[in-house]
Amino acid sequence: MKEIPVSKRNIIVAIILAVVIALGILAIQALPLHNGSQPSVSNQEDTLASKAAAAALEAFFHVDYRNEKDIWLNDVCAVSTPTGCQFISAGADLLWSKFQEARADVTATVTPQEKVAETATEQVWKMLIALSAPLPGSNKIQDTAYVAVIKTDNGWKFDRFLLEPEIKAILARQAMTVTPIKEGK
Amino acid sequence: MKKFILILTLLALLIPSTVYAQEQNPWGEVFDDNGNLRSDLVDLGVTTEHPDWMSVELPFGQSLNLDADYHRYQTANGNIVVLPSASTLFFMAMNPQESGLANSVGMMGNGYGGLISFLGLVAGNSVDWGRLSTDHPEYKNPDQFWGAVLNGQQDVWTYFSGWGFITTLLQMSWNDTALRTAYLMYLNGAQNCASIPGGCSGVVNPPPPQPKICPEPKVTIQQPTISIQKTAPSNPLVVGQDTENRRGADVQARVTIPPVIFTWYEPIYEDEEVCEPSTTVGGAPVCRTESVFKECREHVEHLPDAVASMQATAALDAASQAWITGKLGQTHYGAYIHQANFTLIPGLGSWTGGCDGGGTCTATGQALKVPFADPGTFDLRLNVVTTGTRFMGIPITQPRQLSADGKLQVYVTLPALVP
Repeated sequence: MKEIPVSKRNIIVAIILAVVIALGILAIQALPLHNGSQPSVSNQEDTLASKAAAAALEAFFHVDYRNEKDIWLNDVCAVSTPTGCQFISAGADLLWSKFQEARADVTATVTPQEKVAETATEQVWKMLIALSAPLPGSNKIQDTAYVAVIKTDNGWKFDRFLLEPEIKAILARQAMTVTPIKEGK
Repeated sequence: MKKFILILTLLALLIPSTVYAQEQNPWGEVFDDNGNLRSDLVDLGVTTEHPDWMSVELPFGQSLNLDADYHRYQTANGNIVVLPSASTLFFMAMNPQESGLANSVGMMGNGYGGLISFLGLVAGNSVDWGRLSTDHPEYKNPDQFWGAVLNGQQDVWTYFSGWGFITTLLQMSWNDTALRTAYLMYLNGAQNCASIPGGCSGVVNPPPPQPKICPEPKVTIQQPTISIQKTAPSNPLVVGQDTENRRGADVQARVTIPPVIFTWYEPIYEDEEVCEPSTTVGGAPVCRTESVFKECREHVEHLPDAVASMQATAALDAASQAWITGKLGQTHYGAYIHQANFTLIPGLGSWTGGCDGGGTCTATGQALKVPFADPGTFDLRLNVVTTGTRFMGIPITQPRQLSADGKLQVYVTLPALVP
């Protein structure tokens, strides 16, 4: 029988290596799994577009009834296209008076979820909005929004909320692309 | 440039090229032989609504209600012609049933051809024609597709490939309220005004029944004059810098409404003795008194359409607010907006009004020494609602909504270092 001499130093090194490997495995397992709700941001343009959408929604759902409507509108318009600003302004009177009547004091945290459509200069994003408190007429504090952002000379800007039939059309198109074609007999 | 060409093209569509008055054609009540609007049309003015089909649903149960606005005319036969703004027309086309578009008898001249051209111009570039032709090879050209959309047979939203055109279209309508390309006709609209776009606001009620022997009564509505403006001082200073007097500014609102002229005809009969020879030989003639038509007597009534309510407001515009919090705030630390909105009438001021013997009604409102504390441009807005007119207890015209805008400049003196 052959005797293999192992030095005390080698034994200590081996033990340290084993401990490091075990800790590494445990650390990898402890890392959070990939969250499906995180943005599938594929490039810099997508990042900028989704940030523009998030900034606009955070401004739109930052409601402080103590402020004048125009202060709220200015914040929204600062991150919107000129036409998008006018779009929001057109319907703002009723909305703001509702907020003021209900003494709404709300902030929002917005997370881009998915880019659902795009052209060369436009993108549509599905966004997750979390509010600090419910808005009047609803008891929800979390909801999704579909918004269009447009690439302008001053970067990506919020343009508008999509209309109900536009959202349905986009979702239907998505469903068609993921539904496998059934073979006939 | 592209938007300019689009506006020019839309205006070209608006010009009534060749529309001939025909006995059977209701458009003959609208245009004369030269294609001009007939002088006997009653201009009902612009009506604004917030219909569900122009409401944008937002997260958390909120909604943005966009304005649908229509300029309307009433023909002598009680038909109503509706001219929606460009954005209103677009949303009507997208919701033909809900908007009442489907109930109209078509557009001037060529049925819905003009509307199809309109849709092609404003939304044609935003349709994915490649995918559409793959999915629907039955459409041989874009007009067939738009026709199917207007008939409610085709969902257009599936094939839009762009989104910004909708806000551009809305902005086009807001910036040019005269951009109205479609004349939609609603037969018997005066009788069924509740079901037509714009409802019954300003619609002239059917005139009281008259004997056929005389002409139909006529209603002529004259345009009111309405204004809101600053009257003093010449250059108002923010009250914070006018600590002694705190003068502020005076705002005056005025409206003058000429009478509604109602012309009606009264048949005049006279009693005459009518005699017939006796049926017996040598007998006296048999006479009786009969009422015999002589003439139609014209009556012209000047009906007062008095002011029922007056409201005036002032709002610091967005650019001034941005200047105060931005540029001014950089040089004068802590600059803030003191009060951006004022309810002038009723509120800081009041109004009085009345009608003279000729049927002309006036109303004047004043808000004196309004304490404007912020420098910049204030948008003045005046809204007036009238009572409508009646004759012998019969409503002749519905209440009208009138409005006017004005500007008011408030100044601030700022120190400057001179080298």
